[in-house]
Amino acid sequence: MKITLNWLREYVDFNDDAEGLAGHLTMCGLEVESIEQAQDDIVLDINVTPNRPDCLSIYGIAREVGTIYGTALSFPEHDFMAETGELDFNVDILDSELCHRYAGRIIRNVRVAPSPEWMQKRLLNCGIRAINNVVDITNYVLLELGHPLHAFDLSKLYGKKIIVATSGRVSNNNSPLRINLLDGTERELSADMLLINDAERPVALAGIMGGSNSEVTIDTKDLFLESAWFEPASIRRTSSSLGIKTESSFRFERGADIKLLKKSLDRAAFLIHKIAGGSICGKIDIYPKRHHPPQINLSFEKINRYIGMPIPKKEVLKIVSALGFQVEAFTEGISVRPPSSRRDILRDVDIIEEIVRIYGYNRVPSVVPEAPIKINSQDSQAKQRRLQLIDTCRQVLLCQGYNEVVNYSFIGPYDIDMLNISKEDKRRDTVEIINPLSQEDSLMRTLILPSLIKNLVHNLSYGNREIRIFEIAKVFIKGAAQLPDEHNHLAMLMLLDKEKSLYRDNTEDFFVLKGVVESLLDHVGVKNVDFVRSTEPFLHPGKSADIVINGCNKQVNNINTLDDALGKIGFIGVLSPQVVSKLPVKLQRQEALTAEISIDGLFFASADNKPSFAPLPQFPYIDRDTAVVVDEGLEVGKFLEILYWVTKTEPLVEDCRVFDLYKGKGIAEGKKSIAFNVRYRSSDKTLSDTEIETIHERLVRELLLKTGGSLRT
Amino acid sequence: MSDTIKETFFEELQSVEGLATLESLRVKYLGKKGVITEAVKKLSSLPIEQRPQAGKELNETKQAIEESLGKKEKHLRDKQLSERLAKEYLDITVPGRYIPRGRLHPINQVLAEINHIFSKMGFDVEEGPEVELDYYNFEALNIPKEHPARDMQDTFYISDEVVLRTQTSPVQIRVMEKKAPPLRFISPGKVYRCDSDVSHTPMFHQVEGLMVDKNISFSHLKGILETFLKEMYGSSVEVRFRPSFFPFTEPSAEIDISCIMCGSKGCRVCKETGWLEVLGAGMVHPKVFENVGYNPEEFTGFAFGMGVERLTMLRYSITDIRLFFDNDLRFLRQF
Repeated sequence: MKITLNWLREYVDFNDDAEGLAGHLTMCGLEVESIEQAQDDIVLDINVTPNRPDCLSIYGIAREVGTIYGTALSFPEHDFMAETGELDFNVDILDSELCHRYAGRIIRNVRVAPSPEWMQKRLLNCGIRAINNVVDITNYVLLELGHPLHAFDLSKLYGKKIIVATSGRVSNNNSPLRINLLDGTERELSADMLLINDAERPVALAGIMGGSNSEVTIDTKDLFLESAWFEPASIRRTSSSLGIKTESSFRFERGADIKLLKKSLDRAAFLIHKIAGGSICGKIDIYPKRHHPPQINLSFEKINRYIGMPIPKKEVLKIVSALGFQVEAFTEGISVRPPSSRRDILRDVDIIEEIVRIYGYNRVPSVVPEAPIKINSQDSQAKQRRLQLIDTCRQVLLCQGYNEVVNYSFIGPYDIDMLNISKEDKRRDTVEIINPLSQEDSLMRTLILPSLIKNLVHNLSYGNREIRIFEIAKVFIKGAAQLPDEHNHLAMLMLLDKEKSLYRDNTEDFFVLKGVVESLLDHVGVKNVDFVRSTEPFLHPGKSADIVINGCNKQVNNINTLDDALGKIGFIGVLSPQVVSKLPVKLQRQEALTAEISIDGLFFASADNKPSFAPLPQFPYIDRDTAVVVDEGLEVGKFLEILYWVTKTEPLVEDCRVFDLYKGKGIAEGKKSIAFNVRYRSSDKTLSDTEIETIHERLVRELLLKTGGSLRT
Repeated sequence: MSDTIKETFFEELQSVEGLATLESLRVKYLGKKGVITEAVKKLSSLPIEQRPQAGKELNETKQAIEESLGKKEKHLRDKQLSERLAKEYLDITVPGRYIPRGRLHPINQVLAEINHIFSKMGFDVEEGPEVELDYYNFEALNIPKEHPARDMQDTFYISDEVVLRTQTSPVQIRVMEKKAPPLRFISPGKVYRCDSDVSHTPMFHQVEGLMVDKNISFSHLKGILETFLKEMYGSSVEVRFRPSFFPFTEPSAEIDISCIMCGSKGCRVCKETGWLEVLGAGMVHPKVFENVGYNPEEFTGFAFGMGVERLTMLRYSITDIRLFFDNDLRFLRQF
């Protein structure tokens, strides 16, 4: 809301400059956003919050200024002698729920012309374009008093009559009514929209905009001037469904002052008579629904308790009455009736706010409350453990060189299509936004991978190398319930620049990322997971794995499609060449690796993981290394499974591990060599070599039998 | 005899340069058929009275030889080692094989700091859904369907009844529905508004806080938030509370700090005012308490909220909010 200083000074006297005034207004809730010099005047732009329609006018601001500076307020001149005699004009309100009051005046024989320069200048300073004297005066009064008015060309109102009714009520057949508005558009009206009609047709969209069929033009002689009160919610519904926002609708939807309506009408009539001439005829004022401001009781004790300091009773009374409230004072408190302009005042706390905002927020002391130290409940311990788990994941990944990214939760249909995700996959059950900023941002993501792929493309196209990124965020899967399932995921993406590295090695990228994931699992205390060959459609089938909780017989999260393994908590692998080929950047010979793990899954798998102590061994160990040749197709995971199974029953076996894999010279085609180590130890004696020799030979024999392998010679 | 042995030994020792020759020298003198052994055998051919003296001398010679051999061996080994070490010279200025540390996203760094300060003041952390019912996001917070306050936030809709939350305040309602006072928590998280330019993104982060108990007053709100801001921006920062409007608080306040960019002199960032708006807050509206079944005559409380992006932008003088979501490594690695 823009106001000018000179205009303001017409209604209230205060001894301060623009800066000083702006400071005071800001500190009592009317934030001044800018102060600008405009020729011989100064324009203040004030941010009026939606609860204060009473301040959407110069006079309304003047009331605040008077309260702040303790000075008197004067109302603009609005007295005139109206012509007497029969009006010969009728107003009917058919929907009094939507129009609580409707007043009007007829002014005859006006001269429509440009308005005086001073008025045009003021309107322009406040952001309103001049049109002609009659329309300008309605706008002038709108800015001055805050009440929207509308002037009709009386000769264009058929049947000497105004009917205030909804479109549905006046339309006599089923086809919707239409109206041509002053902005030059034609609008189709729905049944609940409130209209101002003459005897035959709609002539204005009530409280929002006039119709062109009754417009005041240069030829207009006689006017019908409208000043009414329309129900805020109805105005807002119509305004937002038609997408029309006007100075008028803005004020009506926030709530106009039903009492000020009549004075505004008279003020406008007064100005029209003065500027455009003509004679003012008697008035119409239909007021079917009276406004009754609430009576609010408030004790001084509550004021003090709520604010946290005693505010002098005298100060309370002074503030409340200066703001135009009717007050009755008692020893214990006050009884207050707010003015009709303050429909936002409904209960005692509203009055408290009025008192403290004028008294000054900065006069209230800052006190740190006393509160008991809290012992955490079970619920919040679990919550804390969960937050801690996320924090641990972050720390581990930071140490592994991963940078955290934060992406929008949005993806587009293409992002899912490009990952070749099948129709039956749950990750197609997306939450759709009705009014997205664009099609590419119209879905809530069901996995984080698409966002990381975008980050990859962005970074590669700017020449950034060695990409290691991760994100921890929610994914959203639409289910049967009204709200979707929301789950935290951790996703990583890695693209190494191995060729341009000082330290080259032959480790497959898959194992590099798998190592990071294993380290992460280790840190959060997840032990029993398997890496199982994955069928994720966007991963390289030979270089990808699902991460599955060992022996878990329930579905722990929503990352997997229905036919996936139970207990799957994530996936890891090389992005498939089909996906990579669709990217707008080339990857040379590098592989892009990704992993995505459900935080719920990690939390579930790490649930009961308390450390326990076992005494350190007292006797020495004996190591035995053996290499066996097996079929190339026998996976190490399977081999280890057999090795564990074979050694499980031998109590002297402490540990076994694979330490070398070899294919090539010296090993037959289609075979590979696996070397492993077994460590033996007894808990009650020192073992002898011969003792172990027998046991080891037996175990190796069993292993060879189970694996179909032979000793490497 | 011993003197001659010694003399020839030392002569020969002089010319020894390797460990192998040293070993043959040792065998030659101290071996089973070595010079010393032979000399001992010859002792018996001496007259009986000369034997003890000659034997003693021979023994001393043997010890001297052993000692010299030992010294020579140590010398040769040291020399060999230092030759090897000299060859194993590395260019120690070559960069090591290290993984550069990853960086936490700047927003999450600031978020962690906010969490830390409030947790010191005994505030828990509560979370809620990002896809939220209109009821929790608006209605329960005293923002009915046709309320103009809905203009303050452009909303993404999923359906008539479901929205992307525009604020983390719905968490307040969900927590109060489940728990009885006293309450003290913050709810950090992502929020969504249908808006995009240099200072707005369709998704951003908020931290909201709530404290409810008997006799919580506006001065407590001031106390907690002033403490927070001084922890966050240093004790010299000035804090200003001014009236504002939020439908779910009454009285409501906006909180400014003295501009940390220009020291309150007036600059582009503070729009020449010397103040920066950093928080919104207020006393919880009794209607909100009634909506969750609390008695507003018995309990009072305050709520506050802040935009994490804005605080982060102020901290690092970042001028375009969209940089946070480009996730360009050149940007991320700066923090």
